[in-house]
Amino acid sequence: MKMTKIVRTTADLFFPFCLVFGLYVVVHGHLTPGGGFQGGAVMATGTALLLVARAYDDVTGRIRKGAMKACEATGLMLFLLAGLGGLFHGRAFLGNWLAQAGGLFGNRVELGANAGDLYTGGLIPLLNFGVGIEVLGGLTVILLYMLSGIKEEKK
Amino acid sequence: MTPFLLLQALVLLGLIVTAVLIISFKDLLAAAIAFAAFSLLLSLEFYLLQAPDVAIAEAGIGAGLTTAIFIIAIRGTQRHEEKN
Amino acid sequence: MRNVLFSAILLLFFGGLTYLAVDLPFGAPRATDMDDYFIRNAQAQTGANNVVTAIVFDFRGFDTLGEATVLFTAVLGVGMMFRKLKEGEEYEND
Repeated sequence: MKMTKIVRTTADLFFPFCLVFGLYVVVHGHLTPGGGFQGGAVMATGTALLLVARAYDDVTGRIRKGAMKACEATGLMLFLLAGLGGLFHGRAFLGNWLAQAGGLFGNRVELGANAGDLYTGGLIPLLNFGVGIEVLGGLTVILLYMLSGIKEEKK
Repeated sequence: MTPFLLLQALVLLGLIVTAVLIISFKDLLAAAIAFAAFSLLLSLEFYLLQAPDVAIAEAGIGAGLTTAIFIIAIRGTQRHEEKN
Repeated sequence: MRNVLFSAILLLFFGGLTYLAVDLPFGAPRATDMDDYFIRNAQAQTGANNVVTAIVFDFRGFDTLGEATVLFTAVLGVGMMFRKLKEGEEYEND
């Protein structure tokens, strides 16, 4: 089942926008609706669009299985390390040791309803980013494995 | 009946119609697309019920990824259901 | 005959459930201590404006770690299922 040129061009055009929107949802996870899982799913949808529209050999130049595996492992590792960091600051595992401390993502937050500051939230943006790239890597690896398995059966 | 309730009733009606379409199509590719429409309407309903987080997740996973996985699976097998 | 009996039992069961559910208040839960606590203190304690994310990644962070682990394990399982077979190797259940 080969897709037409229209589908391939549209997928090529939408692919970077999907990635950017997913990254926006991930980065603004502590201010607007969404978060790591949702943003990662949107990014993975962008790669899925490319994978559906093209043959397996066409996409391996842009989406590499090894890089996606590395993304997934790095995401989970970032989550664990950020959580373990709390143990060295007198907090529990996954305790929010960066919030409102003046350091990384540590600005004071205004109470009440406001537009929000991107540099607040402490641990939450880090965990969001970790989960985001983990979901992107995991779902893309699943799709790549399925596609490569189908290609072998055809032979 | 307020316009908001009318909109919700229309969306729920569309959900039922697409759900019936999914199980009645013999063309599996058409069924996969109907499933994508079902997920899109479901995410709209979540948004109307003021759960934007769930709406984004449903639109990404249900309408995007699940449809892609179904289409890849159909590409590897066959497009039409076998007649019994 | 069996179909009629089965339908009657099903109708009775779901009718009873609907009858009991009519009295439940919608959108007004009885116990709201936890919700009120989160809504009042989440912004001050976590520094995040989005209360939902504050709950998912801070108050219930361990839950999210479990979810991430589930996804990781699922990918491992898919990778094992679709891996390339070595030369001369066959599936065990064939």
